[in-house]
Amino acid sequence: MTTSLNRRLLLQGALAGTGLSILPLQALAQTRAAIVIIGGGFGGATAARMLKRLLPDAQVTLIEASARFTACPFSNLVIAGIRPLALQEFGYETLQREGITVINGSATDIDAASRAVTIENDMVIPYDRLILSPGIDVRWNAIEGYDEAASRRLPHAWKAGAQTALLRQQLETLENGQSVIMTIPPAPYRCPPGPYERASLIGHYLKTHKPASKLILLDGKDRFSKMDLFREAWAEHYPDQIEWRGASDDGTVRRVDPATMTVFTDFESHTAAAINVIPPQKAGWIAERAGVADATGWCPINPLSFASQLQPDIHVIGDATIAAPMPKSAFSANLQAKICAIGVARSLSGLLPASTTLANTCYSFTTPNKAISIAGVYSNAANQLQSIEGAGGVSPLGAAPSVRAAETAEATHWFETITQEAFG
Amino acid sequence: MPDRSIFSAAWLLSGIVLAACGGANAPDPMPVDVEAAAQVDSGALLASACSGCHSDQAGAIASLANYAPDQIQSAFQRYKDESDGTTVMHRLARGYSDEDIALVSAYLNQTKHTP
Repeated sequence: MTTSLNRRLLLQGALAGTGLSILPLQALAQTRAAIVIIGGGFGGATAARMLKRLLPDAQVTLIEASARFTACPFSNLVIAGIRPLALQEFGYETLQREGITVINGSATDIDAASRAVTIENDMVIPYDRLILSPGIDVRWNAIEGYDEAASRRLPHAWKAGAQTALLRQQLETLENGQSVIMTIPPAPYRCPPGPYERASLIGHYLKTHKPASKLILLDGKDRFSKMDLFREAWAEHYPDQIEWRGASDDGTVRRVDPATMTVFTDFESHTAAAINVIPPQKAGWIAERAGVADATGWCPINPLSFASQLQPDIHVIGDATIAAPMPKSAFSANLQAKICAIGVARSLSGLLPASTTLANTCYSFTTPNKAISIAGVYSNAANQLQSIEGAGGVSPLGAAPSVRAAETAEATHWFETITQEAFG
Repeated sequence: MPDRSIFSAAWLLSGIVLAACGGANAPDPMPVDVEAAAQVDSGALLASACSGCHSDQAGAIASLANYAPDQIQSAFQRYKDESDGTTVMHRLARGYSDEDIALVSAYLNQTKHTP
């Protein structure tokens, strides 16, 4: 690094100016700080790798219940039968090689006062800083009758893996002419455009393999992400496959009955051979246990470093956070992880977090060869996440097939890059 | 294998590490280039949004490693200024100030590894 004398300042003087102590800073070079990360998805895995790079001498531990991670982005292609589930799976070998301790187990308790995580009610791991990237949990019974047992008959497939395979299998065994129902919750939930990408790709599968079958979408809202673009694609490709009913058209689902494969709205009931319930959600349960979730079930954060507003030594990133207008997306989780890691490193060296400009991009497939996107740019200055006006937005309506095809190529490249950055 | 990430420890927080190297044996406060460190941090924070899409692999999304030093900034600025552009990068670039663009471009150039 180039320096000039007039830009050099005495550390003590500089820190005195900010009112900070010099002591934490001296700790940085040889920091053996224990940093524990819970949750090995796009947020947690990225945070672990980033922190190990920033603070090579720190003890970075990742706690994850699954031996391998199954990614949600691109899993709608699996459901439509045009991508193998195996391509969604990622291991933690690279992280281990980089010196990160990966513990395959569930965190069962967090003691914020004594700064310790309990794993499987047995092992206790102390931390200096804790980062939670717990993803989402389903709010069982928020739709009456939709509990864990019901999800084995009416899959949610909103956490990728066995649920993805189950929904795929139900579509495969569907007879031509039988109908499919998807129920969609009001915001907030993981991946705002995800249900509509899934609907598009199920529409593609039905059109190709079960042309007399229909997909009925029962939605708890009247507007949704990339709405005009999805409806344009459905009118063009799936006019006989997809029927969407919003909240003001009695689309809100109140109750399900797995025994009769029936869903109930305020005024009607609908039966189908396959039902995909995308249920109301909340932060992964360990967030509640850690005391970082509020009454909404989600986690309020300080967007400069993603420190919890409720527990100052705990950071929360990804889908579990209240970060609107940033959506609950893999892109957001990966970016929040990096910003959080820099914030944690600065904090361990006695520096305050700094503000920056953040972004998000989400691609959605409308057919196997066409995709659309939404982008957003945000500021976290003034300790608040705000959309930057005049920026972001969606792909153009009425675009040529080549534009849609180009976005499938970008989407594929994005998936490769982000999974490489998170998992190696 | 060298760390090819734009977030290698060598660059990130380098000003801070420089300051802290003295350890317990250093009797005097260590000098630190606070301004330079702040710029590296600002660039690193901004670049956090780039690396989710841009890798060393060129493809449907450009690899920034293939850009000459002044090209990242001019390309970024062009995306921002093309008011009728509709690509993802056009939509994103409109949210960045000229200062952001200069900072992140400088950071990406500094951290670029030669193959």
